[in-house]
Amino acid sequence: MFVRNKKGEILVENIVFILLNVIYLSILILFLLKQGSGAVLLEDSYSKNIALLIDSARPGMVMELNLQELKDVSDKNAISFSDVVKISGNYVTIKLSSKGGTSYHFFNNINATAYPDKTNPGIYVFTFKKT
Amino acid sequence: MIRKLENKKGDKLLSVYWFAILVIVAVGIVLMVNTFYGKDYDVRKDEATILAQKAADCIYPSGKLNPEAFSSQSGFREDFRDKFLDKCSMNFSIKDTLQRPPYYIEVGFFSEGNLDKQEFLISHGNKNWKGDCENSASDRTKLATCVSKEFYAKGDSDTYYLVKILSIVGKVEENTN
Repeated sequence: MFVRNKKGEILVENIVFILLNVIYLSILILFLLKQGSGAVLLEDSYSKNIALLIDSARPGMVMELNLQELKDVSDKNAISFSDVVKISGNYVTIKLSSKGGTSYHFFNNINATAYPDKTNPGIYVFTFKKT
Repeated sequence: MIRKLENKKGDKLLSVYWFAILVIVAVGIVLMVNTFYGKDYDVRKDEATILAQKAADCIYPSGKLNPEAFSSQSGFREDFRDKFLDKCSMNFSIKDTLQRPPYYIEVGFFSEGNLDKQEFLISHGNKNWKGDCENSASDRTKLATCVSKEFYAKGDSDTYYLVKILSIVGKVEENTN
């Protein structure tokens, strides 16, 4: 009777210990994943990268960008994918949450338009014309 | 019995150390992640390089100086200098604000025969940023980013010019913490 109780105690302790470790590791992994896909971080990096693309563009060019990463976050935050990228007055604005978005200025004097590709979800089309 | 109690005490002591190790590892990971993601994404060097490249493409588009900028009869043209931003499809102004532009571009032409004498100069944008390029501070994050490029350009059949381009991008707040 004594031996049986002892064995059971050890098993429960081990299970609790393993469970706590699993919970701990899960929290750490979730924290890391959340940090990498934060709306503010993505808004900042994508607005700058798209501004650099626009700066390098020439009239007549058409660019297709895979913005699936942005679509995942905007869907989660109930923002329409067609409102994610806006280009106005030499500013490119990325909006992934209801807080207003992040803008970055570009110097290229070009008429740039951006719209989501209807046939390919997650793809944005950028067209460039002379002003 | 005494040995049993000692073992249990040892186990408890071990679990306290284990818990402490877990906390230290977690705090370490959080600090490392915050250091990595907390840093701003600075693209000013790439932006300044694109600006310099765009100016170079405009001045020297196809192995010959742009005829709008230089003609063998009249030399460098003043009207090109005045309308440089328009002619080269650049727009430095920030709409609806009185802010000074966060850019500066300077293009100097030096005759091959006398590299000390500047023949012609084009400059546009916010000249105040130029002081940052000469600043020798070790931490340059709060200063404007400067990029210099130079190349030789063929003027007419006999003359060659050394073209020096200096492009500067301010945007300190957008690119640093």
